[in-house]
Amino acid sequence: MRITHLLVVLAPCLLCACIGGSKGTATNTVPPTPTVNTLAVVVDAGPVAAGGAINRPYVTVKVCVPGGTPCANVDHVLLDTGSWGLRLVRSVLTASGVTLAPSTDAQGHTIEECASFAGGETWGPVALADVTLAGEVASKVPVQVLDDTNTEPAPPATSTCTTSGSVHNQVTDLLANGILGVGVFAQDCGTACVNASPALEIYYGCTTTAPVACTAVNVAASGQVTNPVALFATDNNGVIVDLPSLQNANGDATVQGQILFGLATQTDNALPATGLTVLGADASGDFTATYNGGTTVLPALIDSGTDEYKFDDLNDPNMPVCSVPTSAAQWVGGYYCPLVAPESVFAVNTGVGVNNATSTVNFAIADPNSFVATATAFTNLGGGRSTTTFTWGMPFFYGRKIYIGIDQKVSGSFTGPFYAY
Amino acid sequence: MQNWRMFQNTVKCFAMVSLFGLSPWCAPAAHAALGGDAASVAADAVALHGVIHSTLLQQYDIHEITSDNGMRLREFQNHSGVVFAVVWSGPAMPDLQKLLGTSYNTYATAVAAESHPGLKRPLRIATSDLVVESDGHMRAYSGRAYLPALIPPGTSAADLR
Repeated sequence: MRITHLLVVLAPCLLCACIGGSKGTATNTVPPTPTVNTLAVVVDAGPVAAGGAINRPYVTVKVCVPGGTPCANVDHVLLDTGSWGLRLVRSVLTASGVTLAPSTDAQGHTIEECASFAGGETWGPVALADVTLAGEVASKVPVQVLDDTNTEPAPPATSTCTTSGSVHNQVTDLLANGILGVGVFAQDCGTACVNASPALEIYYGCTTTAPVACTAVNVAASGQVTNPVALFATDNNGVIVDLPSLQNANGDATVQGQILFGLATQTDNALPATGLTVLGADASGDFTATYNGGTTVLPALIDSGTDEYKFDDLNDPNMPVCSVPTSAAQWVGGYYCPLVAPESVFAVNTGVGVNNATSTVNFAIADPNSFVATATAFTNLGGGRSTTTFTWGMPFFYGRKIYIGIDQKVSGSFTGPFYAY
Repeated sequence: MQNWRMFQNTVKCFAMVSLFGLSPWCAPAAHAALGGDAASVAADAVALHGVIHSTLLQQYDIHEITSDNGMRLREFQNHSGVVFAVVWSGPAMPDLQKLLGTSYNTYATAVAAESHPGLKRPLRIATSDLVVESDGHMRAYSGRAYLPALIPPGTSAADLR
């Protein structure tokens, strides 16, 4: 399994090497070899231990103890444009012989994090690691080690990781061996966690001797869990997620695509001169959207970590939430099941700030009961009743190049944070 | 739309207050928000090191607590004095146990019964007694919890934002 994935990672490198060789013969001045900036992305059923994933894009991440070895090639890490920073399940690292030492604060307390997502959290220590994605290397990246083995101090009673009842540290919960957050920011929390009073319930300092106790603490930006892309030596201003269109309306068994690092830094990651919709994002990483002609302005983002078009259909009587059958296809629970499928709808995106483009996107919602059971990639999948945001999840990615510009970094004539397509 | 007036009430507490804990000098009342009383609103403001901004409406009052650390809490209180809805937003998730008060056990039981709650799927718990909706992403979380039976007549869940 691991070897197969290594080949997938190496394949683009060989390809680039060939192209470079044929170009280099025409002149005596040999240009410096460009950094290999493409990494394979696959949509499949997920890690063997989990299985059953749909619309989840995965990459293989090489992670090493800072400055040396050992290293692990961790396959099936969820590629997530809707979060920031790398998170890896501890037992997966351990199985490859990699143990990352928790970061500590000035008092010698270990830094732990309760990182919240839409409907669950991850808990575990912050640790430094060297991270390699294709030919790009980021050294001493603060990552989160997900404590699936329950060996870390417990989160305090006030933490969401205690009270929510929805911590996702296990491979079987995540349907992934980790999460690679490559969205529009460098740090997962940013200034809100640097000098808040009282400190936000995100990062904690935990005593290492009995009685073990964790207290919410502020953490300098440089110590927060960080998007590795922002720490690359080059190609560090953003990414392009490039997935093909699906072949079958009822689902494809697997999808092969790629992520490119850097925007307008190499010949393969240029920003199109025309036809590109650039949507600036606010301090939360959102642009705005309105759904189906509605007047409510919703925070919106483009999120490869979400498996569906996620929006509130406002109790549309023609688009009820799927009823869950007792036997087969229980996974359809929570998605939309249009009475007449596919149902055509639309949303209007508007950028925030100087990159204030407006773009109308027509899309359709199908009945997931019509999807092929063995497929893992579906277009036209919708859900999210009662959400207060609009999330362009994985269906939006198929057949599009999605450009993610990182906060404060310049890409051509644009400055992040922005999304573009 | 309705007659309303506003007043601002800064809650300051110079006693020793732990980060999110409550000191008996400042908050003698129960500190449960949902299902709690006016004193519980003040206690929440102390816990958040926040400022209360109250809006008095015909059918209910809204107490908005904003904190220096970016957390915002809106508590809806009916004219019997009971907080029947709480709405939150901010760069972190709130302490749900404190926020839901006596309804927390209902929430915890319902969450445990969820089959495959996804990391990226918004959380929605809806029982006859309690509705909890939570969503968001890093740097921007939001949600609400309300007691359907205590929503004043003429008010809909859509008003609770």
